[in-house]
Amino acid sequence: MGTTNVSTAAVSPFEKLRLFTQKYKKWLLLALFVVVAIIPLVYDDVYYKNIMVKILMYVIIASSLNMINGYSGQFNLGQAGFLCIGAYTASLLATRLGWNFLVTMPLAGIVTMIFGYLVSKPTLRLSGIYLSIVTLGFSEIVRLVVYNWTDFTGGPLGVKGIPAPEFFGISFKETDAFYYLVLVLVVITLFVMHRVLNSRVGRAWMSIREDQLAASSLGVELRKYKSQNFMFGAFFAGIGGCLFAYFYRYIDANMFLLDEGFNVISMVVIGGQGTLVGPVLGAVIVNTLTEALRSLDQFRMVIYAALIIFMMWWRPQGLAGASNSILAGGKLRRKGKAADEEESDEEGGSIT
Amino acid sequence: MVNYALQQLMNGICQGSIYALMAIGYTMIYGVVGLVSFSYGELVMIGGFGAYYTFVYSGNFFLGVIGGFMASAVWGIVLYILCYKRFLEAPRHISMICTFAFSMMTKNLAQIVFGSEPKAVPSVFENVTYTILGIRITTLQMIIISVVIVFAICFTLFLTKTRAGTMLRAVSQNKKASALMGINVQRTVLIGNGIGCALGGVAGVLLILYYASCYPNLGQLVGNKALTSTVLGGLVSIAGSALGGLSIGILENLGIMFIPVGFRDVITFIFLVIVLIFRPKGLFVRKGTR
Repeated sequence: MGTTNVSTAAVSPFEKLRLFTQKYKKWLLLALFVVVAIIPLVYDDVYYKNIMVKILMYVIIASSLNMINGYSGQFNLGQAGFLCIGAYTASLLATRLGWNFLVTMPLAGIVTMIFGYLVSKPTLRLSGIYLSIVTLGFSEIVRLVVYNWTDFTGGPLGVKGIPAPEFFGISFKETDAFYYLVLVLVVITLFVMHRVLNSRVGRAWMSIREDQLAASSLGVELRKYKSQNFMFGAFFAGIGGCLFAYFYRYIDANMFLLDEGFNVISMVVIGGQGTLVGPVLGAVIVNTLTEALRSLDQFRMVIYAALIIFMMWWRPQGLAGASNSILAGGKLRRKGKAADEEESDEEGGSIT
Repeated sequence: MVNYALQQLMNGICQGSIYALMAIGYTMIYGVVGLVSFSYGELVMIGGFGAYYTFVYSGNFFLGVIGGFMASAVWGIVLYILCYKRFLEAPRHISMICTFAFSMMTKNLAQIVFGSEPKAVPSVFENVTYTILGIRITTLQMIIISVVIVFAICFTLFLTKTRAGTMLRAVSQNKKASALMGINVQRTVLIGNGIGCALGGVAGVLLILYYASCYPNLGQLVGNKALTSTVLGGLVSIAGSALGGLSIGILENLGIMFIPVGFRDVITFIFLVIVLIFRPKGLFVRKGTR
């Protein structure tokens, strides 16, 4: 505590690891890709393969949430709602109209993106907790409408018999094939995200996250970029939802409870918001944990929750997060900042 | 039709007053701690279970209310230690995640300890139905409304007339300045959070009486209602959040006259979104109060 400074603070093993990975980024990424691609060939067990497909899907979903929460500082709690829209769009198009995966997947993304736009419009004026509540409300509205609109969505029965993706004469029915399909999509997603974040748009988002006022005074159009950010995040959430539907072959509204949204948020926060690696790490850790704890039966969720709280105590900025980021534990950052009036706008306020 | 509407209005007021009590507690927590809690519903549930076991062993209504109050206050202290204590200065999403996790932990622990099937709540007083101007009012409804009013009045008096209440308000205004004035901020926040949770616990007692059953998933249903009511009231206004709770209760009960019951929760959220579009700081906040 005290007057800690980033540069003089002792470099923790985590920081060292972070610096190391930054140095050999490309080679490490390549090695990781090769390992991930080879695993299903070497290791032949459907159960573990399914878990790995799940992890890969959650990488897309968590990354999409990270785009919103981590890069523009809008705290979205309603990712489950976006997932739900994506999953239902794809599955309804596939079962009712029999459309191909190549069409339904982009459509799922686009429809979700439109909803992302619709959510972002009224929330532009809102900040902080109010924004979070609206997104949370949106998620619940979507779920309840889907659950109750029996004629259109099948209601409580869900959508059954979603066909396996099939295109160019290749069927992705086998877990192996589906695994590679998702892997390719993960790579594309992360690549697109990486490119966007290093473009003008991505920098605009980050400037909004760091300081709205400064950003707008430098000519960043807050409305436009915040809206864009929501749409971008929602698009990939829709893709993730679509993969969800094709993976489980069955969806119902109760797969998209607020708990699901929380699950995704915890992946992002545990991994580290505002980094591309964070959600990937988070997805791996959270999914592995939930599977590893399966034998504990009813104590599983208790232990899982306790572990999340422990993670937050231990490393509030997430595993991959830098300790001097605005999203980090705050002590370093906030100490030197004369931001009292800025905080009082957000936090608490006098009870009347 | 008119009669039915009036009847629904009465039910709405009754349910709304429970929401109002929850919202008052939530306002207290948000005001003093300055961080959002997503485990409030579970604290309400803990209060309900505290009261349920007191009812079973004593059969006394007042003891039950005290039981619920104490159970939630104690669990609120646990919540404070796990989720707030270290993160008062940190960005809000960290404690938010912690409260989410805490809510999950509480819910699952409750399922293990109390069992997940609903428990029938024993009747602790004679429930008589009176008919006034064609509207049926039960003893239960009257008791609920009066308990809420009593607690709201006591709480307001506590906040404005006592030394501890003044300290709480000071901390909610500015933590740094109140520390300079010699207030133990950590302890005050702990007390404020405890009181807020305890009020939620009392609401839990009323809820289990209202639904006549007690189960671990109770919190999930009402937690968001408390949050919504508080946001409607502008997060830090006690009168505002009470009005917010009441209006949500009334709106829900009048709303299901026109649309299917399944959409009941949708009404609340759509109302909230519409309100926030036009009044981004809540419905009952006067301009310039913050």
